[in-house]
Amino acid sequence: MLGLIKGLNVTLKNMVKPKVTYNYPQEPLEMPDRFRGIQYFDPDKCIVCNQCVRVCPTDCISLTGKKNPDPNQKGKVIETYNINFEICILCDLCTEVCPTEAVVMTNNFELSTYSRDELFKNSEWLFANDENIRSENTLNPIPVKKPTGGTPS
Amino acid sequence: MIRTEEMLLNVGPQHPSTHGVLRLLVKVDGERIVETEPVIGYLHRGTEKLAEDLTYTQIIPYTDRMDYLSAMTNNYAVVHATEKLMGLEIPERAEFLRVIVMELNRVASHLVWMGTYLLDIGAMSPFLYAFRDREQILDLFNELCGARLTYNYMRVGGVKWDAPKDWIGKVDHFVSYMQKQMKEYHQLVTGNEIFIQRTKGIGVYDQETAINFALSGANLRVTGLNWDLRKDAPYSIYEQFTFDVPVGEVGDLYQKYLCRMKEIDESLKIVAQAVANFPSEGKIMGKVPRVLRVPEGEVYVGIESPRGELGCHIVSKGKDKPWRIKFRRPSFYNLQILPTLLKDENLSNLVAILGGIDIVLGEVDG
Amino acid sequence: MNTLLLYLGPVILLLIVLGFVTYAILAERKVIGWIQGRIGPNQVGPWGLLQTVADIVKLLIKEDTIPKNADKTLFKLSPIIAFVPAFVVLAVMPFSSQIQFTDIGVGLLYYMAISSITTIGILIGGWASNNKYALLGGMRSAAQMISYEIPLVMSVVGIVLTVGSLNLNDIVEAQQKTWFIFPQIIGFVVFIISSVSELNRTPFDLPEAESELVAGYHVEYSGFRFAFFMLAEYVYIFAMSSLTTVLFLGGWNAPFGFTFLPGIVWFIIKFSVVVFFLYWVRATMPRIRVDQLMQFAWKVLLPVALANIILTTLLKEVPFLTHYY
Repeated sequence: MLGLIKGLNVTLKNMVKPKVTYNYPQEPLEMPDRFRGIQYFDPDKCIVCNQCVRVCPTDCISLTGKKNPDPNQKGKVIETYNINFEICILCDLCTEVCPTEAVVMTNNFELSTYSRDELFKNSEWLFANDENIRSENTLNPIPVKKPTGGTPS
Repeated sequence: MIRTEEMLLNVGPQHPSTHGVLRLLVKVDGERIVETEPVIGYLHRGTEKLAEDLTYTQIIPYTDRMDYLSAMTNNYAVVHATEKLMGLEIPERAEFLRVIVMELNRVASHLVWMGTYLLDIGAMSPFLYAFRDREQILDLFNELCGARLTYNYMRVGGVKWDAPKDWIGKVDHFVSYMQKQMKEYHQLVTGNEIFIQRTKGIGVYDQETAINFALSGANLRVTGLNWDLRKDAPYSIYEQFTFDVPVGEVGDLYQKYLCRMKEIDESLKIVAQAVANFPSEGKIMGKVPRVLRVPEGEVYVGIESPRGELGCHIVSKGKDKPWRIKFRRPSFYNLQILPTLLKDENLSNLVAILGGIDIVLGEVDG
Repeated sequence: MNTLLLYLGPVILLLIVLGFVTYAILAERKVIGWIQGRIGPNQVGPWGLLQTVADIVKLLIKEDTIPKNADKTLFKLSPIIAFVPAFVVLAVMPFSSQIQFTDIGVGLLYYMAISSITTIGILIGGWASNNKYALLGGMRSAAQMISYEIPLVMSVVGIVLTVGSLNLNDIVEAQQKTWFIFPQIIGFVVFIISSVSELNRTPFDLPEAESELVAGYHVEYSGFRFAFFMLAEYVYIFAMSSLTTVLFLGGWNAPFGFTFLPGIVWFIIKFSVVVFFLYWVRATMPRIRVDQLMQFAWKVLLPVALANIILTTLLKEVPFLTHYY
């Protein structure tokens, strides 16, 4: 009997404690800086090194590059860049290997749509997703020549 | 003459108390269970087979999804096995971070167990209190590695992120908060007469049975065997910390509960020590080649996950991908004892005994 | 005029009861929410006031499904059998010295007798669904309700002996000086435990034990029929809390002579305290096991209730003891 009364006491005390729930859809949730949300992609920085495609554990990234239109510059520029968010697990490996921080994480996480097709995001959409970009990204930046072609953003 | 008939009751895969998608075919005679047959595989994703096609770094996010309540320990199992095979040196700071997150994860996992177990027994509030406190751990993890459940935090050779500014202080604050909260849980649950009635003397098995069924973790320790891989086969830097291994005596559900609650206390002790001795600076990644090529050979490591001995067996043929990887998933082994325990029990004890085993279906089904 | 009131009165009571049920559900969710560190429903209407209304509308416009192999007649009949007694028992309840529908001599007995009919509805519902979980829930329900009815009746015998009447009005009148909760404290404890059990609420919610039997006897019910079971459950909370107030908390009598508030207000205050207690218990306790439940009823509650009867008789009849009573 005593244990039950103690329990009743605990629940009564908790009744007047401040509430811990968030008013989420009305008030946006603030995520810490390191939060792994939807990627932001900057086509101007990309050097088409293909590392993100190779490291992706779920093969959700696909990209194609083309020769740099400027005949004086070497290397390639990005033509298409798609991330399939149906299978992306937001594991952070692509941003980890990207040497130029072309693909970085943002704090945005709202991905729900009415159609699965809408989860296939192209480079324009990813470029437009430019809010709340994470400040620290690549772990071991590899010194590469500054990407050529296009203006740095 | 009254004629009675046995009834085949299908519990799950969509049932509130099977902790996921476990299915139990239960033969009942009235409310007495005659026979139970667990059917698993509804959450099978073939992690081990998939891993054969993935590099060692790519396996880590997959392990997050096995035992999704303690992804940190799963991360550590695969990372530790790889490091052992490669003979890598891990910086001290990285080891401290690993121990802190693993022990915090153990606390979070046990809190979920405690909450859902009481929900199985029928009390609703402890569940929400447990999730309220676990939320603080998840917030700490979110700040550290950017995710709340699938951390993908550890890397071969170290950890991905260093602790952010003030993070260690927050962990310290959480430890003292949680120690205070534990008293409340004991008041609310431990002394509750109905809870004691529901759990004391239920689902008893002896040490020999436990060993024969290859049980591990709290399921084994509750029978009185002091077997904790953190002490008996120390890995990482656990030798530096002083902590006790709580053991039970009779192996019933109540002692399982007490064991797990004491394990939370011990984990908090370890975290407190790790925070106190946390190296002020140092690297978080050891010297690791860019492309991990693991030398040819075999390795098995067993670590103490919240659910028991989590083993990782890697066979490497010298490529950047494992030739074969096998996880000893503690929930899967612990589940084997269920039909034996359930025989001739009351139907109400089904959820109590199943909950007491503490399974995570992501881990059972692999 | 009187004839009009005769027909209109029950309709008004039904509306009051429906209003109570609507807001009792909301209050329950709010109270349990606060206890659990949440704020409860707050989306539909200001402060969530229209949440239950929205839920009821949802239940009403839902497709009415009947399992193919169910016994259709009984399946349809059982929510009605479960609900009607819940409402009928309210007829004898004295809400204040004026507001009462029938003042019959055996009011207490009437309540106990009629309320046990609901068990049949639940049992039929569980059986007619042709579902194993529902069957188990129905069986548990029958066993539990019948077992707990006995201590429930036995626990109030002490009051009946003291007052010398089964009439609820007389019982309230007898409590003008002291409420029966004080002299009949043993009876009160037995009564409150058995009444929680009769209401099928935590810690005795075995017939609908969510974690074991999914939803118990009403697992196959949907839409309006499900709403009727819920309605019956909450109307019983109304009835049982009223009965507790009348039997043990002095009904409409004002405590300490605070007669500046009318009797009905005192009734509502005491009644609300009892309802809150039910919510509070629900948020705290785990569920008891079915065999322990039976043992508790027959081995603990019944002997205690019987002892209470003997004690009361001694106190009432033995000459030198009556002085203290």
